[in-house]
Amino acid sequence: MDPLLTFIVILIGFYGLATSTNIIKSVFCVTIIESGVILLFLNMGNLDGGRIPVDIIPDTLIADPLPQALMITTIVIGSTVTSLSLMLCIKVFHHFGSVEWVDVLGMERGR
Amino acid sequence: MAFFSVLLIIIPVFTALVIYLYKHSAVKYLTFIAQLAMTILAVLYYREFSDQWASTLIVFGDWDLRIGISLINDEISMSFIFLTLFSFWMVLIYTFDTRQSNRTFLFFLMFLQGVFLGLLQTYDLFNMFVFLELTTILVTILIAFKKSGDSFRAAVYYILLNASGVLVFLIGVIIMYNVFGTINVGVIGEAIDSVGEATSVRFAYVLMMAGIAVKSALFPVFSWLPKAHGVAQSAISALLSGLIVKGGLYMFIRINQMFSGANLESGEFFFYVGAATAVVGVLFAVSQKDIKQILAYHTVSQIGIVMMGLSSPDFDTFYGGLLHIFNHALFKSLLFLGAGVIIKAYRTKYVSDMRGVFKTMPAVSIFMIVGMLSITGAPLFNGFISKTIIKYSIEDSTLKSWILFGVNIGTATSFIKMSQIFFGPRRMTLRLYAPFDRIALMGFAFACVILGNFYIPISDGFFGVELSYISVFNFDAFFDYFVALAIGFLIYYFIIKKDYRPIRMIREYKPSFQSANFVFIMFVVVMSVYFVLIP
Repeated sequence: MDPLLTFIVILIGFYGLATSTNIIKSVFCVTIIESGVILLFLNMGNLDGGRIPVDIIPDTLIADPLPQALMITTIVIGSTVTSLSLMLCIKVFHHFGSVEWVDVLGMERGR
Repeated sequence: MAFFSVLLIIIPVFTALVIYLYKHSAVKYLTFIAQLAMTILAVLYYREFSDQWASTLIVFGDWDLRIGISLINDEISMSFIFLTLFSFWMVLIYTFDTRQSNRTFLFFLMFLQGVFLGLLQTYDLFNMFVFLELTTILVTILIAFKKSGDSFRAAVYYILLNASGVLVFLIGVIIMYNVFGTINVGVIGEAIDSVGEATSVRFAYVLMMAGIAVKSALFPVFSWLPKAHGVAQSAISALLSGLIVKGGLYMFIRINQMFSGANLESGEFFFYVGAATAVVGVLFAVSQKDIKQILAYHTVSQIGIVMMGLSSPDFDTFYGGLLHIFNHALFKSLLFLGAGVIIKAYRTKYVSDMRGVFKTMPAVSIFMIVGMLSITGAPLFNGFISKTIIKYSIEDSTLKSWILFGVNIGTATSFIKMSQIFFGPRRMTLRLYAPFDRIALMGFAFACVILGNFYIPISDGFFGVELSYISVFNFDAFFDYFVALAIGFLIYYFIIKKDYRPIRMIREYKPSFQSANFVFIMFVVVMSVYFVLIP
């Protein structure tokens, strides 16, 4: 896969963050950016045609294990961020009766 | 002895787990035992390695340095570690006998300490990302801990903006891995001379700095900070404003060190970013009425002053910025904790409703005055030292000197406004017997005064920097300070107190989440043009 495609995914996420009016949509936009970042890094590990990095045969293309190891950590952290922000969305909805940014930020003081 | 750096991360995290698992009220004394153990370990570690920092490197599992996880310390990270330990000591004492000191709170607090100490010591870029993201998550929980609508709103704003910022940092890390084949800071720092001019390295620098700018609340992307620090509990606000936001500035130091071989000439750009941060922060601060919002916007402006120093390639200026990080941590924590005591007694957050604090709470007032004198840069207090170093080093540029002087006037104005709370008759308030928060305030106030008077031996012993060219008993220093105070008083009396329409407009300006993100994207674009396209 072309790295350019993953950059497009990341830019779609940022476009969404700059335009979406809903908190839950913003949470998903952060998730989209994160997926783009993960795809970008995994791309660099010679996934196409690379052998798995065990039982190494000389003169063959080997997939780089480090990006995969790092991206598993990123996925775990990302799921934490997503679940925490969705939990906060529920709390915000309980307090303000809405998950639109305009309604939530526009109120002078929360109840 | 080198494994002590691991213990500094493990002990607080492990203590946090024990506190969470055992449902006994005595378990909260465990935090003090852990804190004492960590302090002793840190002191022993410092005494052992203070002249041979290279041997503090440890690589886990004996992997090659290029792919292994590693920790390292030097005098900058050790000074941050001592600052962290001191701040957490004081915050733990402050919250000791209040109702907020329950087990869940202590769990997140101790966990945050472990994660922050990890951030300070890590030696590879990916772990920097992990620790940054973990601090984001823990800080979000601590902001939302008050469980009011305001705090949930601030928390969701904080986590979304910061998570996207940290992900941009991660893209920079990925590009660095693609170019160098490693994520170790030291290895990249040695290899960067050969490929320093490559476009991808410059772009990676832009992305990393953009992520750090969000974390440390630099000029266009600071809108989360007043929301988050203004609504959290006072102890949390003190910790966030004093210490955790400095994590971003610490990363700035580290990444700039790593890129120092690449000749990016970022000094001028970040000086003006810092100057804009300082000016805008002060403009917002003078217009606020909520005491915690005033302090939160002053954090923004003081971070701007720190950046004015840190961005410089010249070591003296850099040292001024570094020293201002510590000074700001001490006096801003002091002011937030003092504001918390006053808010609890008066049951209001508005400066105009607090009167007669000096007669009601004399001890707290004296500590608050120490904090205010420090932040406005009075001689004999610690803010004076670092501001003077920065002032001397930018003396040859008229524009830069005027920016710093303007920021000083703004700071003086808003603290003259805040000092009005001391005047007035005694007010009957809720009598709260709380000796522990007085102890914490006293600790910070003493630290402010000691750093303001014994700065020469302290900085000589710790960093080996000669500061004797700065003299406190200097007619010019007092004269400048009183001129700034006088102008500040005039501005307060004739402009701020009248509450004209532009001031109200600044106060009521609330940037939306979308515009904050748009500004962030624009910041990345501007930095890309400056660092990648123009050269």
